[in-house]
This record gives sequence, structure tokens and C-alpha cells, in this order.
Amino acid sequence: MSAAGVTFTRVRKAFGEAVAVKGLDLAIRPGEFVSLLGPSGCGKTTTLRMLAGLEFPTSGEIMIGDRVVNDVAPGKRDIAMVFQSYALYPHMTVGENIAYPLKKQGMAKAERATQVARIAAMLKLEALLDRKPRQLSGGQQQRVALGRALVRSPKVFLLDEPLSNLDAKLRAHMRAELIELHRTLGRTFVYVTHDQLEAMTMSDRIAVMEGGELRQFAPPREVYDRPANLFVAGFIGTPPMNTLPGGFTDGTFSHPAITARFTVTGAPARVVLGVRPEDVLIGQGPHRATVRVVEPTGHETIVMLDAGGSPLTARAPAEASLNPGDAVSFALRAEKLHLFDAESQARLDARAVTLGESE
Amino acid sequence: MLGVMLIAPCVLIFCAVIVYPLVSAVYLSLFNIFTPTLQGNFVGLQNYAELFAGEEFWRSLLNTLIWTVCTLFLQVVLGVAAALMLHQAIVFRALARSLILFPYFVSTVVAVLVWRWLFNDLYGILNHLMMWSGLLQMPLDWLGSMPNAMVSIVLVGAWKYFPFVVIAILARLQTIPDQLYEAATIDGAGAWSRFTDVTLPQLKDVLMVVVLLRAIWDFKEFDLIYLMTGGGPLIATQTLPLMVYKEAFGLDAMGRATAVAVAMMAVMLVFMVLYLRRMGKEEAR
Repeated sequence: MSAAGVTFTRVRKAFGEAVAVKGLDLAIRPGEFVSLLGPSGCGKTTTLRMLAGLEFPTSGEIMIGDRVVNDVAPGKRDIAMVFQSYALYPHMTVGENIAYPLKKQGMAKAERATQVARIAAMLKLEALLDRKPRQLSGGQQQRVALGRALVRSPKVFLLDEPLSNLDAKLRAHMRAELIELHRTLGRTFVYVTHDQLEAMTMSDRIAVMEGGELRQFAPPREVYDRPANLFVAGFIGTPPMNTLPGGFTDGTFSHPAITARFTVTGAPARVVLGVRPEDVLIGQGPHRATVRVVEPTGHETIVMLDAGGSPLTARAPAEASLNPGDAVSFALRAEKLHLFDAESQARLDARAVTLGESE
Repeated sequence: MLGVMLIAPCVLIFCAVIVYPLVSAVYLSLFNIFTPTLQGNFVGLQNYAELFAGEEFWRSLLNTLIWTVCTLFLQVVLGVAAALMLHQAIVFRALARSLILFPYFVSTVVAVLVWRWLFNDLYGILNHLMMWSGLLQMPLDWLGSMPNAMVSIVLVGAWKYFPFVVIAILARLQTIPDQLYEAATIDGAGAWSRFTDVTLPQLKDVLMVVVLLRAIWDFKEFDLIYLMTGGGPLIATQTLPLMVYKEAFGLDAMGRATAVAVAMMAVMLVFMVLYLRRMGKEEAR
């Protein structure tokens, strides 16, 4: 068995009046690592649960490989899932936990033991096979949960915020392990998270969701460099992208502190200019602002400015000596500016040509 | 020294309410005492010798065991079944959850009166319905003949006490995380496998406690049996607590009564030791 793709076609899920997923179209390629990313309540978990078969779509079609799985029982979908709480069977030993899916498939005991040994070696769990889950640390439990998923060699792995119960250090370590695991196995991974760092570091593509809708589905680099709309622009990146609302006439964006000329066709009158904090260069430039707050983080300093009445966040080198109240000049990286339609919030295909200070 | 003084009140109260009655019961059982006057003379182990030589004690012990095992079994089966049902999202769940506790809350006297009325051989609804439906040709004497009387008290005991099992099991069921069931579903477990592999193992601990508590309570159950059959017909449903009562207040032989009580305690002690051993093993694991 090999990896299989996953296709959602106009999938909708309503819980009574509340609509969790509103007509989702998503095509995941075989062997791809896809993260479903979004704030809580965005429908990402419901999407994963529908794929697992724990929830049934109100309408639409879900396919794993070339098989429609809407009416296929979870155990028969050739998937495995890792839960946020690990959901290990507390009365079973680590070995029994890992062997359980095989037992339910009717595999013989000797063969099960071989498979469990293989997985235990892979996840370095050999010494723990006879322990009960409650005798393990969080990280070890996490491995067991992974092991129980791996042992079946499923076509698709579903992971529901598997790292969120781990401490920060272990999480970084497990991220690396998951990337490694995905590469060795070559299977399809669908990973639900609200942590953009996890999504950015591990995914081949990220599906950013909000309010039950897909906002963008693209590789991490593209999601970061070319956010499809204001939501994605504001959600990805820490600190998030600055958004400055302004007017737009004759290809010129005007804001009290910033003006910029763009080459663009058919732009509306009201737009939002987006600029990432690292693309705001404090020191010299055509624009003026006042320093509000200075937050040194060690390797850099986050500076919050007031630019013509709009808040503007900038990343400055750690050694920058700035104090609240200072008047500073700044420049923007022209090639890194984003323009969004204020009405539809969608990205406009625009290129900045000249930047200058407004009157 | 200070430590001894601080635990002294506890130890004294423990002695007063546990050790003293225990010792005094054992002491009394060595005398031949006339209940109304509480006067008597020392007879040594004669009470025990008579007890173990006679048939009545063994018969009562057997009755106690039959009653305890049968009614406890029914309580657990009914209790677990009802708890599982009430755990599901059924209509009127909240109402059903409170109603099912009703038998447990009703005073034993009231419950027994109602049941005696239902079981009555002349005008009871049970006989009436069974004859009307053709199950019986003749009215059955539910409480005055054997084995009917034993069956009747076992059934009423199960009815009265199964809600206790329901409460305990239901409370445990509600703490089993849903994700365990979801994980099992994805692992390919069907409904029955989910019950045996997820639910039952989690209920094991609470079931052990429930069975132990109910076993102790059923073993020394007095009012329900006394009010239902009075131990009759003859001594066919007489359990050990009824025998203690009969010896003490019917036959005015307090010494013999305490001897029965002490023997009863010894039997319970066996259960206790078994349980403690079991618990010890669990802890060690």
C-alpha cells in the first residue's frame, strides 16, 4: 500500500443552525504534508474529523485515493489518527496499545509482535513496551500514540494538534521528528494546528481556514510572501503584518504617513496596504513616525510606531537604541508591499514603483 | 510525646466506638444471657459448640450466601445495564436518571408493604396478571412457600438496591474520555469491542468497590427480608441477621445471638481479607 491523496468536494458540515464547514474544496496530493491552520472555531478540526469518519458531512463528497469514503466506517478507511490527548488505552501496556489496531484487523499474535517490535525500534520505545501509559512522560505518550498510528501503515495520517500538550522544547524536537518521519514514510499527512510555526515548518502546503472557509491553500513560503487576503496576512507571521487603510486614486496609495505609486489594473478606491514588520526599515527614509513602545527580545527589537495615526510595527536590530517618544524616519521595502481590496479583503496584484512621504 | 497526645482523641474515639463493642460482643458470646434481665453465667465456648452442631446456623448461613450472591448478581447486571442506557443520549435522560434512583430512596418499610401487596396470593396484582395472561392456572404463594419466597426477596432486593450500582457506574462512565472511543473506532473496533476493550476495563475498579460494599450490605441485610417474609416459611429465608434478632429478642438468648453475630463477622472478615489483598496487588502494580 502506498500513499493516497485526499479530495474534499463542496463539503459542508452543519451542527443544527451552526455551520462549521461551508462548502470546502480541497485536493491533497498523495504523500503531501498538509496543515489545516486557523484560529479555534475555523472548522479545521471538523474537517479532520470528517476525513476520519468521526463526523459525517451534511453534504459534499470526501475521497481518499479514488474511493468515496462518505459511508465508509472509520476503521475501514485506511487511515490512522493521533489525538491531542493521545487517547491511549489506560489499562493496556504500551505494546498492547500499539498492537491494538492490528488485533482488530485480525492479525496473528506472532505477526503482531514483529510489527510492534519494528515500530518500537523506530520510535525508541523498546524499553517501555511493558509500561502502562500513566507511567510515561508526555513526550513518551506522544510517541506511543504515533506508534499506534504508524503500525497500521495507513495511506493517510491524521494528526489533531498532536504537539500542543508538550512543553516548548519537546515540541521543537517532535517537529523535527515528524518531518523526518514524513520523509521516511512518504505517506500523506493531514495535520491540524492553530500554531503557525508548526504549520510553516512542517508542511508542504498550508490550508488556512477561517469561519468554516478555506482562505488560502499554498506552500508556506507563498502563504507568507503572497497572502491571498487580509485574514491570511494578519494571521501568519509574528508579529503580524501591518495593515494601513488608505485611499487609492490613479495608481497612488495615500495615507497620512505614506504614499506609494503602484502599477495595478482595476483597483478600487479604498485599499489596505500591507507591510511585514521586517520590511519596515527604521533609520532613514522618506516617512516619519513616532516611537510608542520598544520591546527588546534579545536577537532583535520589536518597535511599535505611530505613523500618521496608524499603528505600525517594525523589527529593528537588537542594538538599535530607541526610546518611546523618539521621532524616527523609516523606509519600506517597495518590492515587499502588499495591496488588498478594503471591501473584498482580497489581494490585489500590484507592484509598488515609487514611495514617498505624503503631504 | 506531643504526637501521642495529638492522636490520642482519635485513638480514644476509635476504641470507644469500634474496639469496645467488638470486644464486648465476643465477651458476651461466652455467656448464657437472658435478654430481659441481661443476667447470665459464663459458659465458655458452649454457645459456639451448640451453634455449629445444630442445623439452623448452617441453614441460615447458606440462606445468607444464596441471598447475597443472587441479589448482588442481579443488582450489578441491572445496574450496569441501566447505567449504560442512561449514559446514552436518550430522550428524557435527566428525568430517567432521577426516576431510576427512586427505589433506593424509598423507605424499606414502604417498599416492602407495596411489594407484599403486589405479591399477595389472594388479591396481588402479580397473580392476577399472570392468571389473566394464562401463565398460571392457580394463584401462586409468592412469599409463603419455597423457592418462591427466596426468589421474591432476591428480586425485591435487586430492585431496591440496583440504583446504587447505577449511580456509581454512571459517574465513572462520564469520566471516560470520548477520544478513547474515537481512537478505538478508528483502530477498527466495533461497538462490542469498544465496550469490552474501553468501557469494561475502565469500570473494573469501580465495580470492585461497588461489589464489595454491596456484598457487605447485602450480607447483613435485615429489614427487607424481615419485613417481606420474616425468615419464613419456617426458616427457609432466614438469614444470619434474622437469626441474631430471633435469638436475642425472640428466644431471649443474648449470648447465643452474639455468638451468631461473631460468627457472621468472621465470615465477613474473609471477604475483607480477600478484598484487601486484591487492593494491595493493584497498588503494587
